[in-house]
Amino acid sequence: MADDNIEPDQASFDKGYSEDANQVNQDDLILQQSKNIEKEISDSIMLVGDKEDIMVLEQQYIGDEVYKGKVKDLARKYSNLRRTRPDGNCFFRSFGFALLESLYHLEFNSFRLIAEKSKDKLLELGFQKFTLEDFHDQFMEVVNLISKPETNEDTLVEVFNNKDYSDYVVVYLRLIASGQLQQDADFYQNFIEGNRTVFEFCRQEVEPMFKESDHIHIIALSTALDVGVRVRYMDRGDSTEAIAHDFPEDKPPQIHLLYRPGHYDILYPL
Amino acid sequence: MANIAAQRIKREFKEVIKSEEVAKCAIKLELIDDNYTELKGEIAGPPDTPYEGGNFVLEIKVPETYPFNPPKVKFLTKIWHPNISSVTGAICLDILKDQWAAAMTLRTVLLSLQALMAAAEPDDPQDAVVAKQYKENPEMFTLTARHWTNVYAGGPSKNPDFDSKIQRLTDMGVMSHDARVALSTYNWELERATEAIFT
Repeated sequence: MADDNIEPDQASFDKGYSEDANQVNQDDLILQQSKNIEKEISDSIMLVGDKEDIMVLEQQYIGDEVYKGKVKDLARKYSNLRRTRPDGNCFFRSFGFALLESLYHLEFNSFRLIAEKSKDKLLELGFQKFTLEDFHDQFMEVVNLISKPETNEDTLVEVFNNKDYSDYVVVYLRLIASGQLQQDADFYQNFIEGNRTVFEFCRQEVEPMFKESDHIHIIALSTALDVGVRVRYMDRGDSTEAIAHDFPEDKPPQIHLLYRPGHYDILYPL
Repeated sequence: MANIAAQRIKREFKEVIKSEEVAKCAIKLELIDDNYTELKGEIAGPPDTPYEGGNFVLEIKVPETYPFNPPKVKFLTKIWHPNISSVTGAICLDILKDQWAAAMTLRTVLLSLQALMAAAEPDDPQDAVVAKQYKENPEMFTLTARHWTNVYAGGPSKNPDFDSKIQRLTDMGVMSHDARVALSTYNWELERATEAIFT
């Protein structure tokens, strides 16, 4: 009988239930702890910070020759840095902010058209209309700010630090990336580790808030919006410069991001 | 509660009311307060499962940060299921934890829970005792889950054998729920359940 495996003693009887109760408590504790950490981070770092001189990076790496060399190299190419909150959404938030800022100088209307149409593509892919529209409307409201003469850098910083707008932009960009991955699922399947379909990957790693981004997210988003991104990698590698990767490969960069392990910030070329 | 969360729930509430699942009586959503922070959900037990014919009530709490964080959901109706605590009603479901996405809705949640009732994931259990029985003694699990559905969720299938065993224990002064828990845990072996309760 299979039930022989259930221990008949009182200890196990109690254990079954206290374990269950513990599990709940553990979950609550972990949740509470991660909430506290989240809050601590929130309080100390703006969602999108002010522009800072690129050399502020040097102060962070005093005594670290590898990083110092890379900061020097960066300073030959970039004048400024803008930090974002390291909450797992930093790539999408940095991308969103840098993209809108770049639209001051570039063709705004052609981007607006792409942004408008992005919704139809997602609907075709079977995204739920009701929530999709919510995020798209809010995203377009932020995009359209750029065409207003009274909008300046301060307006954008303010909007991106207002969670109601900022998180909506992040969610919508996540949906766009997910849509692109699903549309070209055959291609992207090759880059997905583990035994997961593209759809599962999107559900687990792209659409949920606070999930960190990898190359595959960047390729999908930049391809979907036809926006070139140059990412400068600052890591322990031997090179004396912060190596650049362009996404998609053949596209001239419209926005520049700095990657340090686990985090993205925005860079401004000289 | 932040206005944005309330606005969103208001719209979702309408969406569920109009949905075809409501028309088919598969899911139901009710407001508990006027601020849209607390709702009551109801799921019909899926056909061809031990939960068939039962009606399961859920507590739904909407955090201020909704929809960027998931709603807090638990079963108020007692249920025997590997991914739902038979004690607290707490649910182990990915979309209620780290796989929540802001594009999901309460309707998504109710339908996912209904799917979970139809296809348990015993390798990711919330209730270790139930999960063990589900894996090692599936027939006993089905009978037990059906019995709980009958007693707590208004399901149609009475189990006279189980009922009489519970009666034996309640005759000895044991509360009927405690008797049911002990018997369910020990695969309805009266002797072992009795021993567990009285030692």
